[in-house]
Amino acid sequence: MVDINYLLLVILFMTAATYTTRLTPFVLFANHKETPMLTFIAKSTPPMVMTILLIYMLRGVNYLSFEIVYTFIAILVTVGFHLYRRNALLSIIAGTVVYMIAVQL
Amino acid sequence: MIRSAFNVTLPILFGFLPLGIAFGLLFQELGYPWYFSTLMGIFVYAGAAQFMAIGLIGAGVGLLEIAISTFFLNSRHLFYGLAFLKSFGRWSFRKFYLIFGLTDETYALMTTIKVPENFNRERYYLFITLFSQIYWVLGCTIGAIIGDALSFDTEGMEFAATALFVVLLIEQWIKVRKSLPFFIAFCSSCIALVLFSQHMLLVAIILSIAAIMILRLTKVVSDG
Repeated sequence: MVDINYLLLVILFMTAATYTTRLTPFVLFANHKETPMLTFIAKSTPPMVMTILLIYMLRGVNYLSFEIVYTFIAILVTVGFHLYRRNALLSIIAGTVVYMIAVQL
Repeated sequence: MIRSAFNVTLPILFGFLPLGIAFGLLFQELGYPWYFSTLMGIFVYAGAAQFMAIGLIGAGVGLLEIAISTFFLNSRHLFYGLAFLKSFGRWSFRKFYLIFGLTDETYALMTTIKVPENFNRERYYLFITLFSQIYWVLGCTIGAIIGDALSFDTEGMEFAATALFVVLLIEQWIKVRKSLPFFIAFCSSCIALVLFSQHMLLVAIILSIAAIMILRLTKVVSDG
């Protein structure tokens, strides 16, 4: 099954496909005049995308098991640390350590 | 500037390294030399798509099919560039690379952080993007070479990515101070999860943008 040429072509095709998705808006709006609507969308998408990404990350949590409890606690720890010290790295490490301990116990 | 970029990307390090290692571990089971895992990290540089590809490569799926699957899986990125149309600067090699490296995590980070005033924005973004990709490539490589031998149990470390989005969500809240975008995104996500769980990300993003555009056009929301 090991076929180097096949794999190299897969990498090439995947690179092209991924880059196309990332490059498209820049090409599409390259000579576009700045319209109020475009500015509005550019400003509104980050908070929306962040919300969606977080829900996406949590979608697989099994809510019938203990997983939902420690996931919730780990998020609370992250939020708590962040509101208290507002140090992104500290908040993330604290939440992740709590989560890792819970998973590995 | 390099130091500052390194510091702000540390959360991405904790997210990318274990995930990259997990990828490398799975990839190595396909039987290819380890450096192809590195190559995928360098050229494809898309987490979810790389994981998907392992299954497809193992099954010997056709190239076009792989390309189309990759495109659809990553199609949420079609909207990420909108936030950086101006801030990536003029067309140059650097801009092409910044676009190439626009992942969920770098998008989330760069739309949220404030670039220090004495820093050149594009250069700062370049270091952030470069560091993030280095973490990913390192992870893919380590996983493929010595993943099996790793004695440190990284199970659960992937939560760092979730925690990163939690933190960035709080920061977005502090920055935006309006509940509407969050509320719209929450509703869109729920609808997308129920109706199109396979394409949740893309559907939720399209629904959110459509909803906020409609609200804007009907003057329910003002500028801002």
